[in-house]
Amino acid sequence: MAGAFDFVPAIAALPLLAFVIALFAGQYMPKRGAEAGIAATAGSLILSIWTALTVAGMTGSETFYNENLYTWVAGVADSAVTLRLGVLVDPLTALMLVIVSLIALLVHVFSLGYMNDEGETGLPRYYAGLGLFTASMLAFVFSNNILMAFMFFELVGLCSYLLIGFWFREDGPPSAAKKAFLVTRFGDYFFLIGVVGIFATFGTGLFAPVEAASGTMESFPHMAEMAIEESETFFGYGAQTWMTILGLLVLGGVVGKSAQFPLHTWLPDAMEGPTPVSALIHAATMVAAGVYLVARMYGFYALSPQALAVIALIGGFTALFAATMGVVKQELKQVLAYSTISQYGYMMLALGAGGYVAAVFHLTTHAIFKALLFLGAGSVIIAMHHNENMWDMGGLKDKMPVTYWTFLSGSLALAGIVPFAGFWSKDEVLFEALIHGVGTEGTLGAMFLLAYAMGLLAVFFTGFYTFRMVYLTFHGNARTDVARDPEPVRWNVKAPLAVLGIGAATVGLVNMAPVEKLTGLHIDFLHQWLDGPEEGGWPDALSTDLHHYEELLHNVPHVDPAYPIGGEQTTLIVSAALSLGLALGGVLLARSLYGVDEPVEHTDKLGGAKALLTHNYYQDESQVWLAQGVTVPLARAADKFDQGVVDGVVNGVSSVSLFTGSRFRRIQSGVVSNYAALMTLSLVLLLVAFVVLGGVA
Amino acid sequence: MVVDIAGYRVADWVAMTPALVLGLTAMVLFIVDSIEPRPGSSSNAVLAGISTVGALGAFLLAGTFLVLGVGQPRGTGAVDLFNGQLVVDGMSLFFVVIVGSVTALVMLASYDYLDGESYQAEYYGLVIMAATGMAVMSSANSLATVFVALELSSLPSYALVAFVKENRGSVEAGLKYFLVGALSSSVLVYGISLVYAASGSLQLNAVAEALSGSVELVGVLGIGIIMVLLGVAFKTASVPFHFWAPEAYEGAPAPVSAFLSSASKAAGFVVAFRVFLTAFPEVGGLGGGEPVVDWVTAVTVLAVVTMTVGNFAAANQEKVKRMLAYSSVGHAGYVLIGLAALNTPDRGLVLGASMMHLLVYGFMNTGAFLFIALTDYWGVGRTFQDFNGLSEQAPLACAAMTVFLFSLAGLPIGGGFISKLYLLLGTVNAGAWLLAASLIVNSALSLFYYSRVVKAMWIEDSAGEFEIDSYPSSLYAAVVIAAFVTFALLPAFGLLSPSAFDAASVLFG
Repeated sequence: MAGAFDFVPAIAALPLLAFVIALFAGQYMPKRGAEAGIAATAGSLILSIWTALTVAGMTGSETFYNENLYTWVAGVADSAVTLRLGVLVDPLTALMLVIVSLIALLVHVFSLGYMNDEGETGLPRYYAGLGLFTASMLAFVFSNNILMAFMFFELVGLCSYLLIGFWFREDGPPSAAKKAFLVTRFGDYFFLIGVVGIFATFGTGLFAPVEAASGTMESFPHMAEMAIEESETFFGYGAQTWMTILGLLVLGGVVGKSAQFPLHTWLPDAMEGPTPVSALIHAATMVAAGVYLVARMYGFYALSPQALAVIALIGGFTALFAATMGVVKQELKQVLAYSTISQYGYMMLALGAGGYVAAVFHLTTHAIFKALLFLGAGSVIIAMHHNENMWDMGGLKDKMPVTYWTFLSGSLALAGIVPFAGFWSKDEVLFEALIHGVGTEGTLGAMFLLAYAMGLLAVFFTGFYTFRMVYLTFHGNARTDVARDPEPVRWNVKAPLAVLGIGAATVGLVNMAPVEKLTGLHIDFLHQWLDGPEEGGWPDALSTDLHHYEELLHNVPHVDPAYPIGGEQTTLIVSAALSLGLALGGVLLARSLYGVDEPVEHTDKLGGAKALLTHNYYQDESQVWLAQGVTVPLARAADKFDQGVVDGVVNGVSSVSLFTGSRFRRIQSGVVSNYAALMTLSLVLLLVAFVVLGGVA
Repeated sequence: MVVDIAGYRVADWVAMTPALVLGLTAMVLFIVDSIEPRPGSSSNAVLAGISTVGALGAFLLAGTFLVLGVGQPRGTGAVDLFNGQLVVDGMSLFFVVIVGSVTALVMLASYDYLDGESYQAEYYGLVIMAATGMAVMSSANSLATVFVALELSSLPSYALVAFVKENRGSVEAGLKYFLVGALSSSVLVYGISLVYAASGSLQLNAVAEALSGSVELVGVLGIGIIMVLLGVAFKTASVPFHFWAPEAYEGAPAPVSAFLSSASKAAGFVVAFRVFLTAFPEVGGLGGGEPVVDWVTAVTVLAVVTMTVGNFAAANQEKVKRMLAYSSVGHAGYVLIGLAALNTPDRGLVLGASMMHLLVYGFMNTGAFLFIALTDYWGVGRTFQDFNGLSEQAPLACAAMTVFLFSLAGLPIGGGFISKLYLLLGTVNAGAWLLAASLIVNSALSLFYYSRVVKAMWIEDSAGEFEIDSYPSSLYAAVVIAAFVTFALLPAFGLLSPSAFDAASVLFG
């Protein structure tokens, strides 16, 4: 019987089909291709849910799937590398498939309101882009080897380029698209080297072992584990050092895609794209791809303390750093952009500090509430006739109640206010970072604590900028005519907002770890979901379960939990209270500054810091300086070398050849007596050389 | 004397039928022409038909004999005729295949090319007689028959080059060819006399036997061998006896150039292979001892110099036909590798590679010259610029020419790629790095000047306003057939190469 797993490839194939249909037939459709996209993503969602139910064991005994489906480069010799496409389905995959297809579906529906109703042109291109974007991300999610993942990772990058630059006739979007493409490509360059390195080291890129007819094909994280156990050396490096090098190379791609410091600069610019695209990029596809990749190959990163420290530090620093920049932004979507960077920083912090579940949990909740916030922002932008400046808004609360209440739900989740989704996940991230920071010996523990401190501080800023945004947009008096009389939005905007608004309030309930630990009720569903059954099942077959990761973390980098304040429960309460208190502090400060009828700018009080923050710490400037001051001269020098030395040699060789040729040509004088003389002469020469000097005569 | 061919016991001279067919065809042409002796009155179609059929017959007969194992160890074994003056073995049949196929192509193309010329019968007769000489050359097993056969092929060639009597270039080229040829022949025949003086024999096996012990007149023998080498170098158009080649190929009617540069060169090489490997292996040190006369090194030097001079001079030409003439000199250098890279146990491979290169060359070079014949027919000029934009008017012919040129350069679009690869392999096996290096460098250079033609035909815009008004069918057919075979030899190389390698191995005993 065909089970859900046989249809997994269709989850990505359906949006791909929608891409083709929208591209070629979109202009003949009443909604310009949206129908195909909505139908396809709805189909994907249904299949994803079916897959998730199957993984949960509700439809049969098979609860996981890992097969190679197609070999596109067959290695000939025994040691040759064979490149395949395959599908890996475990609980992590199933969860991510549901998230991605759900968000994609909602974004498609929302686009009806944001794009179709606004009379945009070029819509078939838009829906084709969305379809391909969704398809690439879904295929990336169920890739069973790192090369396939890389291929779809790149496709995701390409689609973001196409969609961010959708309004290519204006000045901003093409340049933003180019920037997004180039900056992420810079990271992907390292990723590619990492992929090649992994293939060169292990001969395989499998994330999890595959049971084939010819025997078990091992996965590369497992091989790495064995190599470290047996202290092998690779290319003159110890196993652990080499794994760190490979891990950090792959991390280059992650940092680029997930917009982590220092490659985050593309993401705020990417706001030039249509808002539904921003929602898709931020919540479920492009940016999530990076973090998902780390989670996917967590068994590999768990082997390297250095890589973990780097991930945790990048995450903690980015979380704080982006949050401070979000404080001074004028435009609605800019604030959200920096909040995205900051929130992905939390996920990286969690992954680095050994909080695998926390990271996946935050990825899940963030997908919901960030999609909500972006769609809410989209709704506001429709109402405001595409003016995004928050200082021109105000008082929208009464005119757009659905948008307001759902947006508020998302904001509370983002700020981390109990009991909204963001509170539970962010709290768990910080809790994990704290206990592992205290429990881990040596530098690694200190790094975790440093990252934790930055993450904790960022909570305050998050609360502040989130509610500054809410107050400026929805509260007070309307500050412009448009805000006094906003354009109404239709059901296709409100429906996705409602779905996500409820989600943002409730999705945190899937993993109320604090409540579980305090009351002893087994309600940490996500934890159980990722941990799998005690005996047998997918954890045995795939080794991608939480239990295995915790073992690795304990054995190799010696990451262990410890509870500094009393027991586990006290630490938990203190940690939760601390983060909630800081978040509330941020919210209250925002309320006191901006929650008035006629708010004024307070940024001047920041003094010199204002300029620093509004210019994003001059990072764009420094990157431009890097490009113009260092790269361009370097490129010029390389060009000189190429033109002068390389071409010079080539041209030299050719002119010497032609010169010699012209000399040879002159031998052919056309006078036959010359020929006879030359022939006789050469005969004599040969005779002298081979007969006289050759010692014959 | 009887031999057993495919179960039939027949007289031993039957093994020579491919050459006899060519000779008979020449006679038939005489008879046909004497029916209407006045110049230009015989039917061009009949003459061309007879000669094409004759050449094709020789080609098919030789091919069939090759398949049936005539003259080869697996069949009858080498068939000696006239006390070993002639021999029919795998190698002689293989070269008759080359000569026959080239002659057939040239005859087919000549039908259109000679349209309206007087003295057509003379032309066909001379070509077939020269081909007969070449067929005999491939069987010649004695220095006397070598010389006679070589002259039989040379004398008609001189006349053929000067065939267009009202064209100054043609006549001048013919005269130069004749003078250089006379000098070369005298060098060859003098060399033969010296070898005879040293060995007391003309039959090649007898010469080898006489020279296998200690040789008394070593100096005389040495001079003789070098002179024979150069005498043969004239026929293969190798440096330093190549001077006639660019002039003759350029001045001659293009089909004659095709015939001389392909078939005549191949015949020269079969003589060189047979004389040096049958008569002088011991002397050259191939038997394992110290070489008495180190002709292998001499051939190595000639090979390197020939490749280099041919290709470097070709790089600098303005006229396509002259470029092809020089490239033909360069290819003689490649083929000489078969006589030079012998410092290996697997000598059959490298000599077989040379033979295969000559076979492929027979098609790709003939095709290229026939393409020139086609442009002559249309009145397109001779320089590279004149070929600009030709592909717009004659895409099929230009595609065929592209196949020829790239195959000549050694790109994997035709059999030239594999034969060159085998030659390179042979040099590497023998550790002859100088030969390997010059093969690579010269091939790279050759790609430059061959691509110039391709670029002119396909990329450059046509400058003139000439219109091609007719498409000569037989000339076109010959070009297309040659292109097809050149291309087909890429996948089918493996079908033919074993017979070449076997035939080559036999010569090394």
